[in-house]
Amino acid sequence: MSDMVKLFVNGVEVEVEAGKNLIDAVGAVGIEIPHLCYHPALGADGNCRMCLVGIEDGRPPLVPACKTPAQEGMKVLLDAEHIKKIQRDVMELELINHPIDCPVCDQAGECSLQDYYMDYDQRESRMTVAQVNKNKKMDFGCGVVHDQERCVLCGRCVRFCREITKTGELGIINRTDESRVNIFPGRPLENRYAVNVVDLCPVGAMTSSDFRFQQRVWFLKKSPGICHGCSKGCNITIDHNRQKYEDDIIYRLRPRLNQQVNGYFMCDEGRLSYKQQNENRVTQVLIDKSEASINDAIQSCLAKIENSSSPLILVSPNCSLEQLVAIKALADQIDAPISGYSDGYIKAGDGDDYLIQDDKSANRAGLNLLEIDTTKAKFEERLATADLLINFDNDLSLSYSDTELKEMLSDTVIIALSSQKNYLTDLANILIPLAAYSEYAGSLINCDNILQTFDKALSKNAPLDDAAIVAAKLGGPMKNATDIFCELQKLIPALSNTELQNIPAEGLNLNNSEASNVTA
Amino acid sequence: MGAEVKTMIRKGSSLRERLYLIEIFVGMATTFRHFLRNLLDNSKLYVRHYPEVEPEIPVRWRGRHRLTSHDDGTVKCVACFMCQTNCPANCIMIEAEERLDGKAEKMPKRFTIDLLECIYCGYCVEACPVDAIRMDSGIYSVTDNNRESFVLGIQELLETPGAFSEEDYKKGGA
Repeated sequence: MSDMVKLFVNGVEVEVEAGKNLIDAVGAVGIEIPHLCYHPALGADGNCRMCLVGIEDGRPPLVPACKTPAQEGMKVLLDAEHIKKIQRDVMELELINHPIDCPVCDQAGECSLQDYYMDYDQRESRMTVAQVNKNKKMDFGCGVVHDQERCVLCGRCVRFCREITKTGELGIINRTDESRVNIFPGRPLENRYAVNVVDLCPVGAMTSSDFRFQQRVWFLKKSPGICHGCSKGCNITIDHNRQKYEDDIIYRLRPRLNQQVNGYFMCDEGRLSYKQQNENRVTQVLIDKSEASINDAIQSCLAKIENSSSPLILVSPNCSLEQLVAIKALADQIDAPISGYSDGYIKAGDGDDYLIQDDKSANRAGLNLLEIDTTKAKFEERLATADLLINFDNDLSLSYSDTELKEMLSDTVIIALSSQKNYLTDLANILIPLAAYSEYAGSLINCDNILQTFDKALSKNAPLDDAAIVAAKLGGPMKNATDIFCELQKLIPALSNTELQNIPAEGLNLNNSEASNVTA
Repeated sequence: MGAEVKTMIRKGSSLRERLYLIEIFVGMATTFRHFLRNLLDNSKLYVRHYPEVEPEIPVRWRGRHRLTSHDDGTVKCVACFMCQTNCPANCIMIEAEERLDGKAEKMPKRFTIDLLECIYCGYCVEACPVDAIRMDSGIYSVTDNNRESFVLGIQELLETPGAFSEEDYKKGGA
């Protein structure tokens, strides 16, 4: 914990962290200072003037809160008449040419201008001349659509491209009321984090072409989650909604602050990965390509396992730790070798030095922790002798071509448990649908050896079992979450003295704990 | 508990009333008086010959919904979802899409009202920022013999004409 200083806000003494600027320091104790251009990830810019606060007996008496560090004994004025007037005046200036098209604006409901108008302004416009018309729809590339009329020129997007992605595609051109955010002619946004400017934009000037007009934000339920798009495990907010007579589906993913993992941002690819949760899902239990009930399928699986002389279990590197424990216990029970071969999930050279990783699976560190073999040689050797393959959601078509797969599996009975349709689910003798990661709770270990937990976000109309439950139904000894967590506690010394709910929200860094040697 | 107690006088306990038949004939006399009067002169009849004679619907009557259109016949609705948000019966279902004819940015791809769930409160009309939904069709009787026909789509809503002139509607306080 850093040093604390005492200062006064509107005459009330508060204790805040030293060294932070006033917006963050005072914000941490629940007092909001309105701001448009400041963002903790981008630093202070001081161009919007919305955060001007008074300092009693101070020189100067009026300072931008974003650029002023909290100091001992400071007397900050927020509700003085002259500060309120400044806030009203700034709002009036921002709204002079604002189109007020809130009914069709995607930002409505999470817009700083709307919120601040209600909190600090609430006045009729005094403008009697026509508003300046600007470009309403500009395609900036990378799925970002810009509306110049709504823009308040805070420059967050410009600073993001300069400071975070260091690509600098955006700029503010011209001066005064001719100022516009724009790209250089013929050079659209071209970086893999571009859609973050949509989240950063405090107003509706930047919209995502993917989410555009899909849903009003006040209908969306916001559940925390972990992105399974790569081994970074970025923290996300899953925005989902069940429309009347329809199923609960995800409409967008947004990054969620976790300083230990992803900071404030996430990559565009991960952002669009929600589509895999909505589309191309396996929903029907199939036995030899004909529809069947889940119980029949389980019975038929049990019979197949019983009759098999050498079964092989394959797991996905996306499975949660809980699922891996349950599946491994099942493997021990039926005396089957278990493999986590998934080289197809690794796209060498795709990662960068920021968030995107080469490994497109979420829990490879978990596979290593449970000492599940992932080598190609062993997998192929075991598959050659196996007469039954039980595949827990591992998309082998990423690792092999269709013809290779057909040849390899020609004399093997396949039980596919899958959330997504792929070539293997077409080949399967028995196909059982599984829940996708937004539909179950679990924990993952990311590429930096940080253990993170996530909760169930969606409640589908027809809920599917997750891999751990199916493993238990197939005869696995791990019947409930408590058993599994006890097993995890044995595997991860850092968990030995904690309960599941006590794992910190920002994740448990296994490198820092005494258990730094857990991964082999 | 300080509830106010009101004692009701129980009628029907006098001798004449307890004899029953006398009171029956008094009641029948009233009935026959009305019957004879209406038989001889039915101009004073208190009932309307519905459905031959339809009631006059005032402009502010909340009838079946309709979607208004621009002069060129294109839909006025901008799919802002205000009506759906405001609807207490949750009977409006909208799907939006991009509008390319320059009239607005957004338009409804699907706009469905389930009349069986609608409570005809008129909140959708009040919420609409562009006067795109109205309940001035003058249709007060919504009947059919299957559930599906009560779910109105965008086409039916657009094709329903208004029953009043624009002037009268505005005068009606809308």
